[in-house]
Amino acid sequence: MTTPTPQLPPVDARPRPAVPYRGRTTLLTLLLPLAIAAATVALPWSWRDELPDPVATHWGTHGVDGFGSYEPQVIVTAAIIAVAAIALWAVGFFAGRQAIIRRTVVGISLWFAGLLSIVVVGGLDIQRGLADAHDTGSLNGILLLSFGVATVLALGGAFLVPGDPAQPSSDPVPPTAARLPLGAGEAASWVQRVSTRGYIALAVGVTAFTVFIGVLTRAWIFGTVFGLVLGAAIASFMRWTVVVDRDGLTVRPGIGRPRIRIPLDEVESASVIDVRPIAEFGGYGVRGGKGGRVGVVVRKGEALQVDRTGGRVFLVTVDDAATGAALLNTLAARTRG
Amino acid sequence: MLFRLDPSANENLAAQLARQIRSAAARGELAPGTRLPAARELAESLGVNLHTVLKAYQDVRDEGLIELRRGRGAVMTDASRDVRRLREAIDAAVAVARELHVSPTTTLALVKEALQ
Repeated sequence: MTTPTPQLPPVDARPRPAVPYRGRTTLLTLLLPLAIAAATVALPWSWRDELPDPVATHWGTHGVDGFGSYEPQVIVTAAIIAVAAIALWAVGFFAGRQAIIRRTVVGISLWFAGLLSIVVVGGLDIQRGLADAHDTGSLNGILLLSFGVATVLALGGAFLVPGDPAQPSSDPVPPTAARLPLGAGEAASWVQRVSTRGYIALAVGVTAFTVFIGVLTRAWIFGTVFGLVLGAAIASFMRWTVVVDRDGLTVRPGIGRPRIRIPLDEVESASVIDVRPIAEFGGYGVRGGKGGRVGVVVRKGEALQVDRTGGRVFLVTVDDAATGAALLNTLAARTRG
Repeated sequence: MLFRLDPSANENLAAQLARQIRSAAARGELAPGTRLPAARELAESLGVNLHTVLKAYQDVRDEGLIELRRGRGAVMTDASRDVRRLREAIDAAVAVARELHVSPTTTLALVKEALQ
């Protein structure tokens, strides 16, 4: 007679809680961009009697240099918007455990849809009433407008994405997690700065290159605006301040916002890991990795990783991560029991 | 770097912070050009009065370890490198004293005499 061996599930097979706010993610990442895609086809269709035939479909450095009928142009644009929206929605729907992932997919989806749609629809709008598409003016104003509107749309959408619901842990911090000797009444604050080596040169270089391309293509206003925005984004998101204190782990970029905070009562445990940015996150910056892991990755190597309640994992590349992890475990343990 | 404050210690809070900045510089953890956290943020983080942190920063500034600049905050000066060099020299002297079994009292007396 044999006794059946009890099958215990492995620790990592604990059921992960469902991804929150799927309805909102679907509305903003999928349905709204699909509506924009539909408008990209419907608006030009409603203008079909006012448009020249053929219409201008391409602008080169010396003005209009491509002509065709408007239908394939708007249908292909709508299809591209739809495919991008579906892909981004899938990421948010299935891996959006952390607000930053949900906000990112909403932002990119709306930005992309807004930009593409306004460029194409705006490019047709300026041709309404023309007898010959050769007379179409410059597209620069439309490019600038599309860039601005898309950015506002993306920021607005991201703003409408709810943050993560509070999920305090009732489990003790595991005794195997590193600790720091700290008196019961003692206050502690660990502050580190981390940046990509040469990030200022990178930001200046990218800005200069974009402006240069803008001048070459006679879209210098658009090139300058785009270059400055890109340079500012690099300069602020390649330099971070990491703090561990009574408020938990706080990570903020050079400009101070947006701030990422993990409160002490949501810390399951903190540890030190080694990160390979390209292999694990596909690059540098604020990134999503496999399984919805979120990382602030500005360089290769040592990182502070936090296992957070709700099946969430966050990490930030930072020097002396061992001290930060030990302090975070110690302060988190104070909040339990 | 790690800042810690023990309200039950005899040493006052500002002195505790100033000592930690000095020893972090001596360990080489705060190289010249490194920015310390803004006083307001550090005070908030540690749950102490802003004046406690400002007092600590002013003390290390008076020693020449940091520069306080409006808008740029507290920045470590080149003196932090000197402190590190001095610390290494002291470590070397202490190692010799241990090796020769010279008592701490005698060693300290020699250092004091040399400083006269």
